[in-house]
Amino acid sequence: MAEKQYPNIIYREKDVPDIRRYEVYAAHDGYAAFKKALGMEPKAVIEEVKASNLRGRGGAGFSAGMKWSFIPQSEPVKYVVVNADESETGTFKDRQIMENNPHQLIEGALICAWAIQAKAVYIYLRGEYMDVAAQLDERIAEAYANGWLGKNIQGSGWSCDMFTHLGAGAYICGEESALLESLEGKLGQPRVRPPFPAQKGGGLYGEPTVVNNVETLANVPWIMRNGAAEYKKIGTEGSTGTKVFCLSGHVAKPGNYELPFGVTIRELIYEFGGGISGGRQIKGLLPSGGSGPVIRFDGNDDPRLDTPMTYEDFQKLGSILGSASFIVMDETVDMAWVASRITKFFKHESCGKCTPCREGTYWLDKTLDRIMDGTARPGDVDLINNVARNMQGMTLCALGDFAANPILHTIKNFPEDFKARMGAGD
Amino acid sequence: MTKTVTIYIDDKTYEVPAGTNLVDVAKFYADNDIPVFCYHPKMKPVGMCRMCLVEMGSVQKDRETGAVLLDDQGKPQVRWMPKLQTACTTTVSDGLVVRSNTPQVDSARENVVEFLLTSHPLDCPVCDKGGECPLQNLTMAHGSGSSRMNYADKMHLDKHVPLGDLIFLDEERCIQCARCVRFQDEVVGDPVLQFHERGRNLQIVTVSEPGFDTYFSGNTTDICPVGALTTADFRFGARPWELTNVPSICPHCPVGCNTSLSTRLDRDFGGRALIKRVMPRQNEEVNEIWICDKGRFGHHFSRSEERLMSPMLRNASGNLARTTWQEAYKLAAEKVKAAAGSVAVIAGAGLTNEDLWALRRLVGESVRLGAWTPAQTGADLVAQVGVGSGTNLTALKSGDAVLVIASDLEEEAPVWRLRLKQAADRGVYLVVANARPTRLADFAKETITYGTGEAAHVMHELRTRFPQIAEKLAGAANLIILTGAEGLTLEGSRALNQAAANFLIESGHVGKANNGLIAALPGANAMGLHYLGFTPEAAADIVNTPPKVLILAGADVAADDPNAAAWLSKVETLITIGLFLDGASERAQLALPMQSFAERDGTFTNGERRVQRFYTAQGPMGMALPAWQIAARIAEGVTGEHPKTSAGAVMLDIAKNVPAFAGARYTELAKVERQFPDVGGQDLYYGGNAYKNTGGLGVQIPSAAEGGEVKTAPVTLPPLVSASGQNLVVVPTTELYNRARDFRASEAELMTPRVPAAYVAMHAVDAKRLGIADGDLVAVDAGSGRLVRSHVRLDGGAPEGTLLLPRHLTDTPAPLSITQGKVEKLRELVVEG
Amino acid sequence: MLAEKYADRIQKVFAKYPDKRSAVMPMLYIAQEEYGWVSPEGLREVAEICELDPTQVKSIAGFYTMYSEQPKGKYWLQVCTDLACALRGADEFSGQLKETLGVDDGGTTADGMFTVEHVMCLGACDRAPMLQCNFHFHENLDMDKMNALIAQWRAEAGK
Ligand SMILES: Cc1cc2nc3c(=O)[nH]c(=O)nc-3n(C[C@H](O)[C@H](O)[C@H](O)COP(=O)(O)O)c2cc1C
Ligand code: SF4
Ligand code: FES
Repeated sequence: MAEKQYPNIIYREKDVPDIRRYEVYAAHDGYAAFKKALGMEPKAVIEEVKASNLRGRGGAGFSAGMKWSFIPQSEPVKYVVVNADESETGTFKDRQIMENNPHQLIEGALICAWAIQAKAVYIYLRGEYMDVAAQLDERIAEAYANGWLGKNIQGSGWSCDMFTHLGAGAYICGEESALLESLEGKLGQPRVRPPFPAQKGGGLYGEPTVVNNVETLANVPWIMRNGAAEYKKIGTEGSTGTKVFCLSGHVAKPGNYELPFGVTIRELIYEFGGGISGGRQIKGLLPSGGSGPVIRFDGNDDPRLDTPMTYEDFQKLGSILGSASFIVMDETVDMAWVASRITKFFKHESCGKCTPCREGTYWLDKTLDRIMDGTARPGDVDLINNVARNMQGMTLCALGDFAANPILHTIKNFPEDFKARMGAGD
Repeated sequence: MTKTVTIYIDDKTYEVPAGTNLVDVAKFYADNDIPVFCYHPKMKPVGMCRMCLVEMGSVQKDRETGAVLLDDQGKPQVRWMPKLQTACTTTVSDGLVVRSNTPQVDSARENVVEFLLTSHPLDCPVCDKGGECPLQNLTMAHGSGSSRMNYADKMHLDKHVPLGDLIFLDEERCIQCARCVRFQDEVVGDPVLQFHERGRNLQIVTVSEPGFDTYFSGNTTDICPVGALTTADFRFGARPWELTNVPSICPHCPVGCNTSLSTRLDRDFGGRALIKRVMPRQNEEVNEIWICDKGRFGHHFSRSEERLMSPMLRNASGNLARTTWQEAYKLAAEKVKAAAGSVAVIAGAGLTNEDLWALRRLVGESVRLGAWTPAQTGADLVAQVGVGSGTNLTALKSGDAVLVIASDLEEEAPVWRLRLKQAADRGVYLVVANARPTRLADFAKETITYGTGEAAHVMHELRTRFPQIAEKLAGAANLIILTGAEGLTLEGSRALNQAAANFLIESGHVGKANNGLIAALPGANAMGLHYLGFTPEAAADIVNTPPKVLILAGADVAADDPNAAAWLSKVETLITIGLFLDGASERAQLALPMQSFAERDGTFTNGERRVQRFYTAQGPMGMALPAWQIAARIAEGVTGEHPKTSAGAVMLDIAKNVPAFAGARYTELAKVERQFPDVGGQDLYYGGNAYKNTGGLGVQIPSAAEGGEVKTAPVTLPPLVSASGQNLVVVPTTELYNRARDFRASEAELMTPRVPAAYVAMHAVDAKRLGIADGDLVAVDAGSGRLVRSHVRLDGGAPEGTLLLPRHLTDTPAPLSITQGKVEKLRELVVEG
Repeated sequence: MLAEKYADRIQKVFAKYPDKRSAVMPMLYIAQEEYGWVSPEGLREVAEICELDPTQVKSIAGFYTMYSEQPKGKYWLQVCTDLACALRGADEFSGQLKETLGVDDGGTTADGMFTVEHVMCLGACDRAPMLQCNFHFHENLDMDKMNALIAQWRAEAGK
């Protein structure tokens, strides 16, 4: 079955050879959106983005325009930070955006920078994207060379710089305040909030700062060019536009798929993704990498597979859409094993700053190890369930909740997998 | 008046100062001890441990009228936050509602304690902190009583990691609260402690060279909420519940840090009380809750075996031999009487007010009373325009200013340096002026570098030489000038202080709190010397024209003055009263043993003119007596006046006779008020250990300016000492850790490796010219005929043409003050083994 | 000395930030490139360059997994065995690789050529199994491709 055609925003030029190069991008109306923005009042740019209801693609889904509008204009120094840390298990979309169409991101970030009158843009890439960063540096240099960056941009009287910064292997640096600490050369641990990044004292070097995900900003040029009204025609009312879905795990064709919000899970997995590999039945879906609650599906005919993919509908499924990193698991997968794997991830990535997360992930991991190697004590499943609950809502950043999620939801949704491991007695 | 806001804690209403921290406020105003581990009232909140979670909300108000909206029961309507919030990261705001006693909060606390204990070794029975441990206490209060963690799953980590010479880390006990890390970073400004790795592998490390080795390291052991950090001094030394805490005052410098001496009746000390450790005692205006490591670890001198244990009399064969106190008193009285007025006293700045008063009574007020701060003066001006009553360096903020001139405060008065660093962080305009770089300058907003010896000139001509700085200082809301005497003669020191006083008077910064002059005079009681009539000028006069009978009390003149032998030899009868036999005792008729601060009651007047009382802590050493008693018993033989029966009675006498001390009777000095933040209670987790102030906050002597008008006076600038020909300018400097007798006796235990090797600092250009290389052994001839042998350091910050010669690092004294001198390279003696 | 040898690069890095502290991560990469790992001397040099205390730099080096505080093999192979890759055979692949090279997890071959360790998600889940070798990605691997790569690296190193 040939898959349906949907409008693309992020990938609209995916078939243009060499769109990554400046000349090609420019020839395809590149930087026209930025140029248009430069002709508008910064405030009007923010209003337009607000009107589009563009929601953050980094996970939390917060309105981008709203975030920009929090920046106090009276402060002389402001920053834009692009979150390209992309370290959530199962997430690999930002890398592709930066590799394939880097100028789109640069332009989007610049529009944001103009809207808040930022002094500079920093793109924080996870360290493993060293090669991506090197390429991006070349693209930024092209933008400078063509007058889109630097002093007095296009005669606007406004100057702005753009730099890449490499992380070095720490998932927590995707959390925005930890990212800012890291960028300042400090330990990548989350900050106390308030003050929030948009406020004086809370952002980069203490200055008001917008932190947005790569995909969020990559949407902005299209919105500027076509207007908020056009944008809202794509997707649903609450979730406007398109989303890049990262599909991985037990599917025939893993990869990134850009689809409007509202397309069903079934369409993504079975049409675009080619279905479950080996013709097996679907058992579970992690819709937001390791950090969101796992959804149970009882085989390929489960009607809940027809749920539209939007922020709102996923809440109804008892989960979240988050970063839309779909890890698909077939019937052969043992969910206790999944819980154990994800817990190892969070134990490894806990920054250690707060007690429940630091100690909880360690404790969960130790106990899950025993469950996995058959030396568990009776009551250990209840114990991990309870430990995870005690972490929930108790931590400085959301990683503590993320780490609790796999335990709570695998136990809740797949109790039989744990029972099987505990033997008859438990 | 500070602005207040209305907040609600557990259904009660409180009016509290705006902008304060919820944990501090709940404790102080509502008697509500919100449990904390990472929060510390002296550092910025980090919200890490999650122990302080409470329910939080805000009272709803009518948008238009601002009136509080009420529910149907007439109670304020509250909008609650969905999750528990950390109290420690909350600044109180109007309408804040807090609930700290709900099941949800209880359960959160229980969980956090359980989490912390999952990796804790539970080795309380062998832990130094056992008995005074925040974790132990909070486990009792909030813990569940049993652990669900599989014991075999616990981490096993290194339990004896030295972080420096003085502090050990037990990695298993550490709960990653970062208090020590933040202390070093925020409070000290020396970030030599950090976390390493992450998650459950997070550990405290240092790879700095030297390691964790600042002058303030011991404070981390007080604020560590578990037994993870312990001092080399106290480790395994005693159990906290065996200890008696005796309020004391640190005898080492003019700050006058309040301390507690933790003592125990000790078998190894003949069953007498022995100091096991020195802890800070809260006095917000003096030292807050900090002390330096000299104060903490430098107490061993008090029971050194070198102490003089009995009175000594020079016998017929010219040797000092033991005698009885009766003999000693008799002889001393006879000599004083026979001298018919040609008697003088030189007293050191380590004597107490009572000692000084008794000495003055002994010889009469008409005789010369010398203060042995030989090259530094200014106490008289401090009495005039010193910082006003109620001064608190913590109160200084943006808009205020401090000038520190001619002092290396880190070495001379460490806790002032600590507090000024933080003042600078709060936005105080801190200016550091010196001829060379000093540690405090690292934190200054502005530094002034002047030519060697020019301090007084710079201060006097500040408005013309540094107009912008002078203008900012003069225009500050509050201004304190802190003077030292580095690079100055006694005359220069006078001129500097007068110039500073004039500046303060002219700019209107006298006679009120947080304004005025502080002189970083050496010793704990230089201000007491002044108020009781002892002056450095008189000391200089005594040195020039020695009397028949000279009493040296607590003044190791031979260790300070290279010319001491010459002028001492002109004295007919020399009587020394001291802790040790020293260079002067070698020439004395009588050498009398006095008690140290640890063995007796007494008072010191600190640099901010606060009279502070300390109490008898340690058992006596030999036959030593308090100096006031010795003086009084001799006086009895001279005047017939009966000695007072106690130090308190002496102070009563002083209070009656010396107006400055009118308010300083012991009962007044012992008064304690509740301080904010309220540390030192049973809730050790809040501030740390043993800060409780039971001994009194002391009484500040008002400056003359507080009582009325003070006038400027002309400044007489002395000629500058400059380099000429082969001669360089020799500047004596101060090192906190040195070989002065009272500190040297502490060395054996802990401090030896921390006293710098003898050195003289010179500039590379001079060294090159003179054919000297870094590390060479040299002799410095500063005109006294005695050569100081030392190794040369080129990295010591000496300006060109200047030799910096630290005092008390060699047995030969550095010159008393700035002078010319030659330096010559010596061939190293290579001793073949 | 890094400061001299990499003077240009260091200047370029400094130009990015309003303070020197922000440059600590890029400097650690330079030190690691020079010494093969973040050696104590490298650490000290970075501290000097960024005007930090060496312990502060140590702390940063220890927090991030891409800085190695131990010497590694010439080829530092980091195999992703995180969930998404594990679902696509990463565990087996990683096991075979270690067997082929004769090392345990985190171990280095006796000739100092290869260090193999497993790591968390590298952001290439759709191309599992995959690894990064000295921070360059190799994707859609199987043991045939892997053996070829190993042979190629051995040839490059002349071993
Ligand atoms: C533990 C943790 C990890 C995160 N990792 C990422 C990440 O890798 N990339 C990202 O864009 N946002 C990440 N976020 C979300 C960011 O904190 C932040 O919300 C986001 O960058 C905002 O951008 P947006 O509004 O455009 O989504 C993470 C959050 C947490 C709590
Ligand atoms: S929840 Fe975990 S990752 Fe987040 S701050 Fe706390 S310890 Fe660090
Ligand atoms: S989190 Fe508030 S005291 Fe630790």
